[in-house]
Amino acid sequence: MFLHYIDLSWRSIKRTPVISFLMVFAIAIGIGLTMTSLSVYHMMSMDPIPHKSGNIFYPQLNIMDDGNEWHSSDNLPYQLTYQDAINLYNADIPVLKSPSFRSGFSVHLNSPEVKPTMEPARLVNREFFTIFDRPFVYGAPWSRDSQDTHEYVVVISEKINDRLFAGKNSVGQHIYLDNNSYRIVGVSANWEHHVKYYDVNNGAFNVAEQLYIPFSIAPLEEIGTWGNMNGWKHENSKGYQGLLASERVWIQFWAQLNTMQEKQQFGDYLISYMDDQREKGRFNREVLEFKLRNVTEWLEYNKVVSEDNRILVGLSFMFLLVCVSNILGLLLAKFLKRAPEVGVRRALGASKRHIFAQHIVEVSVIGLAGGLLGIAIAQLGLWGVRVTNSYYGALANMDVSMLLTAPIIALTASFLAGIYPAWLVCRTQPAIYLKSQ
Amino acid sequence: MLTMNNVSKIYQTNSVQTHALRDFSLTVNEGEFIAVTGPSGSGKTTFLNIAGLLEPFTSGQYTLDGVDIGGLSDNQTADLRNQKIGYIFQGFNLIPDLNLYENVEVPLRYRGIAAKERKIRIEQCLEQVGLASRAKHLPQQLSGGQQQRVAIARALAGKPRFLLADEPTGNLDSLMARQVMELLEEINKNGATIVMVTHDAELARRAPRNIQVVDGQLADFTLYQGKPTLAATRDNETVVASGV
Repeated sequence: MFLHYIDLSWRSIKRTPVISFLMVFAIAIGIGLTMTSLSVYHMMSMDPIPHKSGNIFYPQLNIMDDGNEWHSSDNLPYQLTYQDAINLYNADIPVLKSPSFRSGFSVHLNSPEVKPTMEPARLVNREFFTIFDRPFVYGAPWSRDSQDTHEYVVVISEKINDRLFAGKNSVGQHIYLDNNSYRIVGVSANWEHHVKYYDVNNGAFNVAEQLYIPFSIAPLEEIGTWGNMNGWKHENSKGYQGLLASERVWIQFWAQLNTMQEKQQFGDYLISYMDDQREKGRFNREVLEFKLRNVTEWLEYNKVVSEDNRILVGLSFMFLLVCVSNILGLLLAKFLKRAPEVGVRRALGASKRHIFAQHIVEVSVIGLAGGLLGIAIAQLGLWGVRVTNSYYGALANMDVSMLLTAPIIALTASFLAGIYPAWLVCRTQPAIYLKSQ
Repeated sequence: MLTMNNVSKIYQTNSVQTHALRDFSLTVNEGEFIAVTGPSGSGKTTFLNIAGLLEPFTSGQYTLDGVDIGGLSDNQTADLRNQKIGYIFQGFNLIPDLNLYENVEVPLRYRGIAAKERKIRIEQCLEQVGLASRAKHLPQQLSGGQQQRVAIARALAGKPRFLLADEPTGNLDSLMARQVMELLEEINKNGATIVMVTHDAELARRAPRNIQVVDGQLADFTLYQGKPTLAATRDNETVVASGV
């Protein structure tokens, strides 16, 4: 019977092509707009590393003396000082952890044939690659020895490898970052993240860095940050060494804590560390405070998905509702015009349920067609977002879940629009129309 | 087959009550062919609609093939309509988008009959009304008489025991009307009970039993024994109009 209803729907659509097209178009516009905003929102809010987002933690320490305030919701700085980051990394706790910060270099081969380019880089420790499951096309992260001996090694992205080495295995080759030669130890796969969750301080939707070098090289080369740096008190520190010893925060830090016990131990360590630092003259505060947030908590805390985005999604759904109400009117006109035919069907044995099902299937066919056209319109909308705002480029895409969601929303919307007209027409008293036809 | 006892139908619009049927009582036996006549607005079609379960009645009792109709749900009346009753309308009421084959198929689909069985029945019925060769035509490609024959085929396809015809020849010329009447007579001979509403006195006379409805009441000597106001005798049966 279902296939028969589909057949009847198709005939009905062909019989009233203009009104049918209007309904399909109304749903398509509504779905197009809704899916555009919903896709961006979905990409923004989706878990970037779902298999372990609950096990990767970002520590925050309240470094300020009593009486000082930070501009965060819980009075905690968003980043760590260099000295805290180093101390936490060197702590004797058997978990994966890594400090990091964003910088950038002029990348070249010290040859006039290849034009230098400016590329963003990240200074990390080797554990960073394991914590964030970074796959390698060639090679591997640098060794602990290389890191401890301040060896000038680099992991380059696939993109840079393609540009400088035509995609061939470049492990063992050297490239220049500014004026220093670095030995390539690995080529990591391009990092196509939607949200740069490991460093939201420096633009949550920025593209991933193309170079990774050991964190230990930073003090040697006095590598500056390309990110935010904040302080809470006046300091007379001068030069790079002064920065490293200062209370200014500019380092991100991640630790992989696989169990509640590991998290508890790490938290206990943070308290004892702050207590120890207090004895050395830092952390002059009565109550020592810290926070360990996992990836999803961290993104929420940083309001990566802003209220504006939520409002936009809400508005687009309201627009869809307007479309639905228009379709409802058109469906009422269309279905009630068909009441005489329904009267005949009822006389021939159709129950109200049959008539209702027939019309709901027709509405669903219209909804599905609108949904598919809506996906095309949404693609156009997302293309518009990509073209006009490169910062949101990676977000303006529809993944499979959104492609599947679009027809579901379209079907739901059309069902909402059609339920009343279908109910009304299924209550047709056959006797009224049989004589008058 | 059909028994109505004191069935009344009142249409209520705001402050106006219209009595379409008043204490209407009638028994139709299996295999009968009854012609229902009466002036316009007398309640003939209302009677036919109630008999065909197309509209509810206000009071009284109606039993169809042993089933008390009062209190049946919509699904139950739909099933009963589908399985026991066939309709032929004055205006044919064919669905314009469907070809003849598909029009005849409509009641069979609602009955849940398998496609193979449907095909056999449809072809048989179209053959019976002489339109098998035009199964793929749309209704508008046929004459009025042909359309009515399709409607008859549709009514027959479900093998109903009870056939209701509302002015089946009303839109046809006399030749077509005669052909349709002959078809109905043949169907009746094959065992179907037929109740036919008509204005055509000649056609009515061809039916073995005539009843007349006047002002929503049955003009029948069995109801009004001893006080008939109008009587006509034909084929050993007396039909009386009450003149109320």
